[in-house]
Order: sequence, then structure tokens, then C-alpha cells
Amino acid sequence: MSVVYCHIFRRLISYNPYRKKSTTMPLKRVFFWQPNAGSTVNSQILNEVSQCVESINGVKEGRWKATLTFYKPMLRDQALSAEFPREFIGISLPEQPNKYYFVLRFNKIVLESDSSIQLIMEKLQSYKSRVALNFEGFQYQLGDFQLRVGKVVPSHSENLRGIVMEVEYLPISSLEKSKQIMEEFFDIWQDAISKRSLPGRFIHIEPDFSDYGLADHYTSQHTAVQYTHVTSQLIASVQAVQTGRN
Amino acid sequence: MLHQHHQQQHHHHLQSAITAAPPPSATTSTPPSSTTGEAPPKQVALAMDRLGQAARLIADIRLGADRLLEALFVASQPHQSSKPLHLFRQEDESMRQHLQDLRTVGKQLEESGVLNESLRSRSNSWGLHMPLVCPDGAVVAYAWKRQLAGQAGASAVDRTRLALKAFTDQKRRFFPHLDDEEDGEGTDTASKKHRNLPALAEDNQDNLSDCKTLSDVLTNMEKEIPNLKVSTYERLDWLKRASSLPASANDNTMEAPKHNFHGTSMLRPALQNVASMDKVAVIELFFPSIFRAVVSLHPAGSTDPDSVAFFSPDEGGSYMHSRGSSVYHVFRQITEHATVALQYFLGIRSKTALHSLLHWICSYQTLFTKVCNKCGRLLAMDRQSALILPPVHRPYRTLSVSKHSSTQSISSTLDQGSNAPEAYHIGCFSDNT
Repeated sequence: MSVVYCHIFRRLISYNPYRKKSTTMPLKRVFFWQPNAGSTVNSQILNEVSQCVESINGVKEGRWKATLTFYKPMLRDQALSAEFPREFIGISLPEQPNKYYFVLRFNKIVLESDSSIQLIMEKLQSYKSRVALNFEGFQYQLGDFQLRVGKVVPSHSENLRGIVMEVEYLPISSLEKSKQIMEEFFDIWQDAISKRSLPGRFIHIEPDFSDYGLADHYTSQHTAVQYTHVTSQLIASVQAVQTGRN
Repeated sequence: MLHQHHQQQHHHHLQSAITAAPPPSATTSTPPSSTTGEAPPKQVALAMDRLGQAARLIADIRLGADRLLEALFVASQPHQSSKPLHLFRQEDESMRQHLQDLRTVGKQLEESGVLNESLRSRSNSWGLHMPLVCPDGAVVAYAWKRQLAGQAGASAVDRTRLALKAFTDQKRRFFPHLDDEEDGEGTDTASKKHRNLPALAEDNQDNLSDCKTLSDVLTNMEKEIPNLKVSTYERLDWLKRASSLPASANDNTMEAPKHNFHGTSMLRPALQNVASMDKVAVIELFFPSIFRAVVSLHPAGSTDPDSVAFFSPDEGGSYMHSRGSSVYHVFRQITEHATVALQYFLGIRSKTALHSLLHWICSYQTLFTKVCNKCGRLLAMDRQSALILPPVHRPYRTLSVSKHSSTQSISSTLDQGSNAPEAYHIGCFSDNT
């Protein structure tokens, strides 16, 4: 049974790891908010962050929203679940409305597929959504930079679980060539935000893109991988807080 | 402008022709003067004058067409006298007159080389060029542009140089027996010869002599700067290519080989390039993942750049040409700066302007890595534009002092080492450097 599902699934996505030809996008770093030990994230912090963006001449442009879903396979026999990938994640990104991205974090696989795959999965009843998160907020333009600040909320609640920030540098798409630019931008950002004495800071951990077979030219697949990693960091930090409480 | 002319002619033919005797052709323009008897500035002035006349004639023709239509319309109304017919005849006469005049002016312009490039070989008297009407209708009055855009200091230098040249020419003509030692600067005729015979002379390759052909300059560039991809295009070919950009990162190897400039490395393609060097009007300098610069040459096949623009390596579209503007702020700022630098190179040392310009453009390969020499940072908020930008200024005045040094030292200054060229943010840049 599981073999059938996998087979159908693969055919639908036409997965070929040797042809990752995705459209080049400007490069982007995704940051998440790490609260200091003993404090939590709240919407006041979100407001302060937004104000900080505006203080460095960011121009508010509009809203954005991305989603991330943890899937689990629908199996008759739960014992078989060990054969399936441990974390199977689906991501939708606002800059690619016709696409849907899958990431298997432990297998280091990322796929780009058509957004109709969600409908197909539902009809096939092959995988079910276990947890879904929404990343939503406002988008700002700062010259050649584009910033997105967003809250992380579970899909059917208003509980703020985290804050993410995307920093995008539009003119180029090479990860290697843009490294210094992104680091210096973050320094400028840090200068600005540290004046507000917030209980926490933004962190970026660069995933190893080559593990996923991704090249130096940035694509939305890179973004999908970043979101996967950011989410697992967020979950880890939330769990750490909960463990701390208990 | 010619395009409008044809439109009006077509318009005219569509109407019912009441054949009036064509009026005697009284030309409104000055009789065509022999171009050889006049000094080039006068030729240029005359040409601009005639272009102005042509524009006025075309405007008259358009008005006349309107009046003709009006007369027809009135005539179609009931209860009319013979007034519309009279009006129509009148307009017909004056229209024919205008068209005749336009034809005359057009012929004069053609003879003086404005509408085609026939004057290229004799255009270099005194360093002035005839205005050119490009195939897409744009008028390029090259000499005027230079004079208007050049700084006052530059034109004084120009005038002095021109005067010296004129004296030297006269001297050579009337006192050939005194003409023993040649000036190292090289003469107009010598440099013209070099331009028309695009020989890949071996001795030119290793020194910055003034007599450099286009292919020499480009071969030089390719040798000295490793990451650079130089390509040359005819003007319309470039527009096609610009519209097909951006090529995805994987497609770089599939570029049409005939457009890549291979210089002397391959024998047969070099011959092909030599043949088409005369038509090269656009040079593309591409540093993968960093930027793409477009330089336009005027006239085609020469070593005279007339405009330059910078773009993102991922940009594409028909707006990407040497007078176009990138959608990104950083490249727009660099383009502005580059335009000033170009005028400087042309004003100070117009013979090696192209060489200097291309080398100066290549100094931008460190755009995203070289920190500002003044403040030590890569990014800075520019107060005026409220934008965060990398150092977009690269000084261009320092390049001119290396005129007589060998290319060896120039290439070493472009290395990533301690001799790397300076870079400044807009706010950090001061004119004293």
C-alpha cells in the first residue's frame, strides 16, 4: 500500500534530483526571533520591530503570507509509519503563487511542484495535515532591499508563537557574492534594533544548501529550506521554554 | 522623422487627387554647398539647421493634411458653394510644395552624410562628427553632445589640441621639407588608417599607444581580466539579445559563439570578427553574478564610446541598452557616475577613452566585496536618497596618470590585493581625490 502511495506521489511530482532548474530569485535570508532566557515572544515586540524597519526608511508596501504544513501519511497500519520520512513538510510562498514546495528535512530533499498537488493529495487521501503554521505580516521596501516582518501563528488560532523576518537583496542572486552585503545589512539592522532594548534578538542560521543539492544561485527552493529550518528552531525554542517552565 | 514623412506621403495618396499643375519648385533651403569647401563646424551647423527645417516641413505637411481633410468634410456637407473646392486646391498646392521642399532637404542631408554613414571616412576632420539619424529615428548629434556635456576645462584643452593639429597639418602640407620628426601623438590620418584596417598588430598589444583598434582594446581586456566576458554586437542584434535576457544561470555556455569576442585565440573566428568589427556598435561586459555593463560606440566599429549603462546580471528586457536605466538603485547610481566618468575620459584623452572606460568599468567587479576607503564599511545609508548602498563610486581621475606606464601596472592595480582601486560611498566621495 505504502509503495503504491509513494509511486503515485512521485509520478505526480515528476521528481528528478538532477534537474533542479528553478527560476533564479534575488537572494534572501530568513531570521527568527530568539527570545532571551525567561522571556517569551509577544505582539509588542512585533510592533517594535516593525517600527524599527520604518525608522531605517523602510516603506510599507503590503501584506504577505506563507504557510508551512507538517504532513503525516494516512496509513491503515500504523506500524508502517517508520518506513515513511520523519518530517514531511509542505510550504507555500507568496512570491510563487502557483507552486508548492516539499521538504524532507532528514532526507535532505526539496521539491518544487505545482500548487495543485495539494488538491491531489486531498483527493487521494494519501497524506493528512498534522500541524499547519502561518507566517504573515507586512512587507517593506528599503531601496534595493526588501524586508518582511511576520508573526508565526498556528493556522487556526491567533496564538503568537514566533516572529520571523526576511531580508532580501534584489539586484543579485549569488549567495557567495552577496554574503558580505547581507552580513553588513544585518549589522546596520542590529544597530537600529538594539536601541530599543528588546528581550531577544534575530538569528539566522544558514542551512547547508549543497546538502539539498541546491546551487549558488538563489531560488525559492532555498527559501523553502530556510523556512523548514527556521520552523524547527522555533519549535525547539518553544519546547525549551515549556521544559523550563515544568 | 523620415518615418513621419512616409506616413504623410501615404496619407496624401489616399485622397482623391485633383491634379493641379505642380508649382515651380522654389526651394526654401540654401542651395547645397560643396562640403569640401567648408569647415566641419559649419557643416555640422548646416546639418542641424537642415534637420530643423525638415522637422518644420513635416509639421507643415501634417497641418496641410488636416486642412485637406477639413475641406473634404465641408465639401461633403449639403448646400455648399465652390469654397471647399477652392480650399482644397489651395491646400493641394501648398502640400505638394512642402513635400517637394522636404525631398530637397532630404537630398541635401543625404549628401552631407547625415542620414547614412557614408561620411564616416571623412568625418574625422577636427574630431567632429556629423549628426546621424539612426535607423530607429533617434538623432545623434555627437559633436554637440560632447561640447555641451564636456566641462569648460575640457573644451579648452580640445581647442588647443585642435589648433595644434591644424597648424601641424598646414605645416606638413606647405613645408614638407621641414617635416622631419613626427610627433609621438600620432596624426589624424595615421589613426584613421588604423581604424579602417582592423589589423591585429602584435606590437600594439603590450603598450597603451594611442593608435589602438577596437579589436586590440578588446583583446587586451580579455587577457588582463580573468572573470570578464566581453561580447560585441551590432546595434540591432544587441536589442534582440537584451530582450531575451536574463538567460538562466545554466544557459551561459550556450551563447551564440559569433558574438563572443575571442580575439586572436582562434584563427577562423578571428577573421570573422575582423570582418564584422566595422559594424560593432555595442560592447557588453559581463561579470557573472555581479553586473552587466553595456557600452555603445559611435560610429560603429570605432573606438569612440558615447554612452554606458550598468545592469543587474539577472535583469533583462528591451530597456537594457547603453542609455537605459536599471530597475535597481545601486546600478542606477553607478550608471550616473559612469556617465560623468565617460565624459571625463573623452574630454581628457579621447584617443584612449574606450580603453580607460573599459578598465574603469572592470574596477566594479569588487562592487559587493570592496569596502569604502573612507568609512571602512561595505554598506552605508546615503543621506540624500535614503538608500542603503554599497560603495558605488570608483575614482576615474587617477587612471589618467597611468597613460605612459605599461599595461602591466594597470592590471596590477586592478588586482584584489593591496593595490585594489579605491571605492567610495556617495557620501564619502569627495572631489579632491
